[in-house]
Amino acid sequence: METITLQQVLPAVFSDRPPQDSGIWLREVSFRKGECTLLEAESGSGKSSLCSYLYGYRTDYAGTILFDGRDCRQFSPKEWSRLRNRSLSMMFQELRLFPELSVLENIRLKNDLAGGYQSPNRINRMLEQLGIADKRNTMAGRLSFGQQQRVAFIRSLCQPFDFILLDEPVSHLDDANSAVLAQLLSEEVSRQGAGIVVTSIGRRINIPYDKILSL
Amino acid sequence: MTLLWKLLRRHLSVVQLGGFTLANLVGATIVLTALQLYADLRPILTQPDSFLKGDYLILSKKISTLRTLGLGSSDFTQAELRELETCPSVQGIGAFTPANYRIEGSIRAGGMGMSTLLFFESVPDRFLDIRSEAWTFSPGERTIPIIIPRNYLNLYNYGFAKSQGLPQISEGIFKKVSLNLDLSGNGLSERFTGHIVGLSNRLNTILVPESFLTWSNQRFGSGRPGAPSRVIVETDGSAPEALYDYIAQQGYEIEGDRQDAGTTARFVRLGTGAIVTVGLLISALSFFILLLSIFLLLQRNSRKLENLLLLGYTPARVARPYQLLTAGLNLFVLLVALAATLLIRQGYLPLLETLTEEYHPGGVGLSLAAGAALALILTLLNGAAIRRKVNRLWKRA
Repeated sequence: METITLQQVLPAVFSDRPPQDSGIWLREVSFRKGECTLLEAESGSGKSSLCSYLYGYRTDYAGTILFDGRDCRQFSPKEWSRLRNRSLSMMFQELRLFPELSVLENIRLKNDLAGGYQSPNRINRMLEQLGIADKRNTMAGRLSFGQQQRVAFIRSLCQPFDFILLDEPVSHLDDANSAVLAQLLSEEVSRQGAGIVVTSIGRRINIPYDKILSL
Repeated sequence: MTLLWKLLRRHLSVVQLGGFTLANLVGATIVLTALQLYADLRPILTQPDSFLKGDYLILSKKISTLRTLGLGSSDFTQAELRELETCPSVQGIGAFTPANYRIEGSIRAGGMGMSTLLFFESVPDRFLDIRSEAWTFSPGERTIPIIIPRNYLNLYNYGFAKSQGLPQISEGIFKKVSLNLDLSGNGLSERFTGHIVGLSNRLNTILVPESFLTWSNQRFGSGRPGAPSRVIVETDGSAPEALYDYIAQQGYEIEGDRQDAGTTARFVRLGTGAIVTVGLLISALSFFILLLSIFLLLQRNSRKLENLLLLGYTPARVARPYQLLTAGLNLFVLLVALAATLLIRQGYLPLLETLTEEYHPGGVGLSLAAGAALALILTLLNGAAIRRKVNRLWKRA
């Protein structure tokens, strides 16, 4: 997938009071493969809604979202599964880890689905770099939110993608961990030649952005 | 799959699945046992010696006072036989051929002797289908195989022997007794040995092989085949009403308890049907128990399932562990139910064997096929319901 285009998109919840000065809503906006876009927003401006529209698990919006010219509302569950396996990766704000599985199992659940996309060594290195290698066999539910955030981040890198969506990826990370995360993200994205769409309501991940849009 | 299963088996209720397994086991065992019993009873209901098979009728003409006085004949004419043969659903007819010479039977046992005048009849072998290798005769042999009505033995055992203080004899011993048969006619008199090869429950005549009767009628009788007074009719059962109408219209009588036998066969079919229905109902209820249990499991794991779908797992992949679980349970139930059915069968087969001689139990193919079909249908329905539920989660996810 090369391009994601938003045409006059507006969340249903904003239909009675459409925002006047949004850089996304009610405009034509494109995200291109290889580009890095930062979406800055205040809380409640609909950034998580945008991620859910782009990732296909909510459709409560007006307007059209096109994936390489195709309206993504028309995609079947099978097509969405294929996209989520090969073209789109997502790091959720609410992380969506499985608390009853260990850190490694949470990562493997995705990595195995992608046919062992990252080698066990690479996964271990990422865990080490992010300072949670000693937690690899700990149940995810027992970790702090910041630690869980790092697990969810590693998981999001365990698949091929054309675009990676990261919803507030460093909200609970210190500067050092945030920097490691930025480095790992940049490495993987440049390796895959992918595009990044990252949201932030304050702390932002420190990578060179091609576009900064305000919601 | 192991990671997925580790995740999805949470909230699995052993009690609920145990409840389902037990209920389905009871249902399936009832269905399979009823079908197996039916398969095993069929040979009794349809065995040729009883003439109970829905497809055989024995016809004779009513004996009226006029006929007693010698006016009119109780024999079937060739024209009547031909007409009968063309009746709807009639497959073929066979005449009862009587012996037209004098037969005196005697028996000596323990210094006591009894003798009586007898008669023989024969029907074509295809109507008999007697499973006895001894049912043959070639000219020159001195032994004649005989089939007599079972009630002759009963008459002796419960009537004659009791009142005369004689020992009662079993069927086995009875079949070992040899009769002296003095056949005379055409100025000849010869002694043969009669050997009883079978006891008929419902055919009220003394039968000998057709080959013997043809030969002996020529030797001791007139040699000219007499007109038959009784015929056996094979029907394909396709239009019984039309045939019964014709029989009534001609004034023929259906001999024996053919009607009762039909009722018994119908009753057995009806009983089997009722039991199978009850079994299927229990199976259907257990199916809903399993479905509810799985739905509850899906409900409790819905958040996890949603997350799996968001990670890129397809609905089919997410549904598969639950589908495999139900398939495994249904297969387990099938195997145990089949084992239980075969065990129950071992219990009742000896009982059935005492009901009739030369009993050959039915095969287990019917219950095997029915059990496999039941398990397959339940598995497919379970699988489809689970898939639908997961698809619904997708829409929510």
